[in-house]
Amino acid sequence: MATVISPRAKPHVERLERIWTERPGLVGWVTTTDHKRIGIMYFFTALAFFGAGGVEALLIRTQLIGPNGTLLSPQAYDEVFTMHGITMIFLFVIPMTTGAFGNYLVPLMIGARDMAFPRMNALSYWIYLFSGLFMYLALLQGHAPNAGWFDYVPLASKKFDPGNNIDFYGYGLIFNGISSTAASINFIVTIFKMRAPGMSLNRMPLFCFAFLAVAFALLFALPSLSVAALFLELDRQLGFHFYDAAFGGAPLLWQNLFWIFGHPEVYIIILPAFGIATAIIPTFSHRRMVFFPLVALAEILVAFLGFGVWVHHMFTVGFATVTTVYFAAASLIIVIPSAIQLFSWITTILTGTPEFKTPLLFIVGFIVYFIIGGLSGVTLAAIPFDQQVHDSYYVVAHFHFVIFGAAVFPILGGMYFWFPKVTGRMYNETVGKVSFWLTFAGTFITFFPMHIVGILGMPRRNYTYPGGLGWSLLNFIESIGAYILASGLVLIVANLAVSRFRGAPAGNDPFEGDTLEWSTTSPPPPYNYPVIPTVSSPYPMWDEEDRKRDNRRLERGEGLLELGHETPASTVQDAQWDEILSMPSYSIWPPLTALMLAGVFTALVMQHYFIALGFLVADGLTLIGWHHKGVRT
Amino acid sequence: MKGTPAVTRSSAAWSAAAAGRVSRQRMAQPNGWWGMALFLCAEVALFGTLIGSYFYLDFQSHQWPPAGIKPPGVVLPLLATAALALTSLPMLHAARSARAGRRGSVIALIVIALVVQCCYLALQILLFRHDLNQFTPQGSAYGSIYFTLLAVHHAHVLFGIVLDLTVLFFLVYRGLTNYWLIGVRGLALYWHVVNVLAVIVVFTQLSPSL
Repeated sequence: MATVISPRAKPHVERLERIWTERPGLVGWVTTTDHKRIGIMYFFTALAFFGAGGVEALLIRTQLIGPNGTLLSPQAYDEVFTMHGITMIFLFVIPMTTGAFGNYLVPLMIGARDMAFPRMNALSYWIYLFSGLFMYLALLQGHAPNAGWFDYVPLASKKFDPGNNIDFYGYGLIFNGISSTAASINFIVTIFKMRAPGMSLNRMPLFCFAFLAVAFALLFALPSLSVAALFLELDRQLGFHFYDAAFGGAPLLWQNLFWIFGHPEVYIIILPAFGIATAIIPTFSHRRMVFFPLVALAEILVAFLGFGVWVHHMFTVGFATVTTVYFAAASLIIVIPSAIQLFSWITTILTGTPEFKTPLLFIVGFIVYFIIGGLSGVTLAAIPFDQQVHDSYYVVAHFHFVIFGAAVFPILGGMYFWFPKVTGRMYNETVGKVSFWLTFAGTFITFFPMHIVGILGMPRRNYTYPGGLGWSLLNFIESIGAYILASGLVLIVANLAVSRFRGAPAGNDPFEGDTLEWSTTSPPPPYNYPVIPTVSSPYPMWDEEDRKRDNRRLERGEGLLELGHETPASTVQDAQWDEILSMPSYSIWPPLTALMLAGVFTALVMQHYFIALGFLVADGLTLIGWHHKGVRT
Repeated sequence: MKGTPAVTRSSAAWSAAAAGRVSRQRMAQPNGWWGMALFLCAEVALFGTLIGSYFYLDFQSHQWPPAGIKPPGVVLPLLATAALALTSLPMLHAARSARAGRRGSVIALIVIALVVQCCYLALQILLFRHDLNQFTPQGSAYGSIYFTLLAVHHAHVLFGIVLDLTVLFFLVYRGLTNYWLIGVRGLALYWHVVNVLAVIVVFTQLSPSL
């Protein structure tokens, strides 16, 4: 049902096209403020880091394929598993979900023409890119962070880790945190203020609720990590004593601060997956979500409760029983909002007429693995059991089912689902299904035996293990599973890469989706919607009368906002049309600001504090330039 | 424009009077105000973490501050903080004047606040140097958290002063347009939060003496 642009609408569309077109070529990509192009840059950058993190995973599994592996030295193994964790969490999952999916889709789903702060959106991307390169610079010069992604002191203190490995970690995460903080502010304001007139909060797609919850969780969780990393660097570089017990400091302060960030982080990773699931399930089940308001509230509640459970990562450090019991109970409470969503997804699929195309298959895989990972999570919330399997492969199995099986499967399904929207072409369904089964089987074969070796006593993070302990066969199976998994992932990328050029034209709405992004062309024009859409339910694409009315308004030239980069702003709850905003167009300042900031952090790692100060002043000057030029209002 | 509800175009608000009118007609808070409010949420979480760390180290130590370090003097920091907190009044009125479209009084009020803020920062730097002569951040965890907490707070005051100057520059150079009207409101909000945080920081700093 492609929208045919009638002759009467044509001059309007052409005028919008002229207003919103950005600069051509590479310059256009560097200076872009278009949320879709920024989303695409996020996608490819995150995909590259996924590749790097995947290679690191394969190195780990190859090292452990048999006893007494010699592929990696102990030092190299430490660096590889640390970089694997940092890469997958900070440089792949968060940028892929909030950066790529959120950036591309949230403004489209709420009927806006751009994010609330387009230039800050570009800034988020460039800071993310430079912070990722910054951390990989450490790997290239052979001093990658090597104390695990959790980076516990005193192992990470100057005394036990004298190189600058950990400094790249500390400064890299502060640097990266700026990007995520800016992005989350941008998402919240966009979702609060930029929704199309009529899209009151109760008519907002569940996908956007999930991203709202993620943005709030990031906003309040990241400062804890930044402060922890600041203390760490002050200890390491200037000789402070936050974490040094000999001078009245507390090593456990690091663990507390890290996990006050780290547990909300787990939900920051998984909530976008919930959001993607709630976008894919109604489309392929051909029915509305069951318990829509409950699911929306559960998404918010998961993000909120995530702040109150961090001590369950620290059950073995010797807290009072009353403390640990409280946190065990709080951890169990999270089962409730998770189960609300789980039953809603299952019920929606079972009571609909599901069509098991590739995206829905990935969501089914997600549900299966979320149940497995969730159940092993419940076992870990039981303190005595946790104390038995702590630091064993059982924990590795649990969190890989959750943050690979549950968090990444919807990302993969989402790649297939929105591929036609982003490229205008269809992926290959048969290859898609094969890639699903390979990935699904690979995940199970890799991670399930880890439960068993964990219970058998194999400790995590060790670079090798002796034979004859009953671990060898299971480790061999795990490593084979990792190769199968990798082949599945490569097949997904290959399918999409080939379909990008050879795929059949997809049209606007190949899956009869429910949300607004399917109403515009594939790929969407720079201004997203020629006419600002009207919305009267959470499934605007299934309200055919609304869409017909939009087309009539386009022909009459109503609601086009064609006096510049214009988009509506609306009230927070009811989305009444409040104002017409003039958005900034392309700008060179965001990448320059990010570059100066990269200079600051590079100088800090090298302990050239005056050079860092110089870069900071230069950074401030770029912000003056940012406000000086291009501000029309 | 036909077919569009009777809402204001922010791009049309070039004069101070027009910008004030747009601001008064708007039902919700503008995007820039929301952006600043959310940024400040992150700042509050940052200070919450710092202050939480202060008391974490306090409660698990046998003696706080450690032997050989005098508890901080009370009078001067409290007076300075009271003076800083009072700058919320001119800032409040600057935001109101901006919404009324009165550029001259906005500039005057921000300058008044700026003078007090600069004096506060200068005094705090002197006190900081004085403290550094008594004990060092490298000497104990108490010194580490004491100086870090204060330095982060002072950095926020310094950042606020830079924001003051930036907004003043553009108010003179560009005028009270819609964009800079929202800038003035964001600036006022920033100072309200920093001032409240200053009070919490000073009571944390002085807690061993109280």
